[in-house]
Amino acid sequence: MSPLATKIKTALETEAQQFHDVVDDHMDVPWQDFLRAWGELREIDILKRDDEGAYVIEAS
Amino acid sequence: MADKGFRSFLDDLDAAGELKRITKPVDCRQLSALGEQADQATMFENIEGYPGWRVATALVSTRKRLAVAMGCTENRIAFEFEAKSARPIDPVTVDSAPCQEVVMEGDDVDLTSIPLPLMHLFDGGPYISGTFAVSKDPEHGSNVGCYRLMYRTPKETGIDLVSPSDMRFYYQRALDKGEPLPIAIAVGVHPLDMLAASYKAPIDTSELALAGGLRGEALEMVKCKTVDLEVPADAELVLEGELLPIGWTADEGPFGEFSQISGDVKWNPIFRIKCITHRKNPIFYMLQMPWENDWLAAPVTEAAGLQALRIASVQPVDIRAPVGSCGYWSLIASIKKRPGEGKNAVAALLSVAEVKFVVVTDDDIDIHDPDELDWAIAFRVQADQDAVILKGARAKHIDPSVKSWLLGKGGLPTTAKLGIDATIPEGVPKILYRRIKNYGRDRIKLEDFE
Repeated sequence: MSPLATKIKTALETEAQQFHDVVDDHMDVPWQDFLRAWGELREIDILKRDDEGAYVIEAS
Repeated sequence: MADKGFRSFLDDLDAAGELKRITKPVDCRQLSALGEQADQATMFENIEGYPGWRVATALVSTRKRLAVAMGCTENRIAFEFEAKSARPIDPVTVDSAPCQEVVMEGDDVDLTSIPLPLMHLFDGGPYISGTFAVSKDPEHGSNVGCYRLMYRTPKETGIDLVSPSDMRFYYQRALDKGEPLPIAIAVGVHPLDMLAASYKAPIDTSELALAGGLRGEALEMVKCKTVDLEVPADAELVLEGELLPIGWTADEGPFGEFSQISGDVKWNPIFRIKCITHRKNPIFYMLQMPWENDWLAAPVTEAAGLQALRIASVQPVDIRAPVGSCGYWSLIASIKKRPGEGKNAVAALLSVAEVKFVVVTDDDIDIHDPDELDWAIAFRVQADQDAVILKGARAKHIDPSVKSWLLGKGGLPTTAKLGIDATIPEGVPKILYRRIKNYGRDRIKLEDFE
């Protein structure tokens, strides 16, 4: 897993976040790099949704 | 090459003074907010991190721009749509196409190479919002519709297939056999093609021939590289692949809906992409919600209303699908009425798709004037005689009042519908509706006394 994907994973294990919150925390990252990291998390199927549509990852 | 391509429409907007060009560098995270603030359609010429790409948005987010696309005046759009859709022109297949100037297959497929925008605050991810989606069924043939795609991975998107549609029907048939459904998504086609794609045509009606009728020339199609489907040759971008046979199991949404509501998480299939093709120096089309979707919906709803009235042998004079109801949920029509036809017209209009509120007036009412409409409802309606309620009709999930969250995954909601016959009631003398007119108004002019 890339360092960026790992960073996002850690954040979502800590608290549920809307997608825009995750984006806001990485505005300094080129958009394409961000999307690739997000795709890494999707590919391993660990992203869950709460009742308000926020993303969350169960801590491993 | 056909005259009515996506780029020729941009030229038409430019000529009409309806296209703004932004040349400063713009990040994909800024596109939607900038496009929403512009009072013209907008072309972003310089996308940070995506050399060679441009992004166009808000191309038909006003009735004026839609009229440019239709080549008529604003108040003739529904009638033009109806007339042209009655003269379909079959598509033709060409051997080579601009949309396949660049091809990415297999491991080279990478959605992140496309400037996918983050559009709304609560969206579940970046979206491809303006699609011309092609699918095929062995029995029913090709079908075209508009379906949003949410980015998941470089090779996968979610697809909103919750509402009843022909593609949903095709997908269900493939799913029943445990098979994927091949589809192709074209992005950046002429608005007339989008209108045809969003038209609620009977399942065996060709939207491609309808697009030809609207264009006044055959739509040129080209065979896809990896699936047995054809796409518009002049599209800017094409995604080829298949809907996985997993049913409605993957989270998708929220997305800023055409209902002006953020929506919620839905459960939908996954679209796996095998091949991406696009033009050189491609233009990504970001359909701006809600207005662009709503103005595309309105003429389709209006034309369906006109058709329903004519089938009911009622003579329509004017019709509008108010943009406040997203061009979709309400229809207001004036008719040249014979006894009983107010109710016939109400019943006919309530049969249109998910339209849930209808008002019918006589032809002396200007239905575009809200004060006129209020007047007709105030003085021509008795609630116990002129209101019609239908229960248990087909609905859309994005209407919160249908409580779709109570349904299981893939479930379909129903709704009640209300129609108001605001025509002059039978038995009431028309002289009782004689309007006030100031004495001498036609010959006495204020400017003569100033």
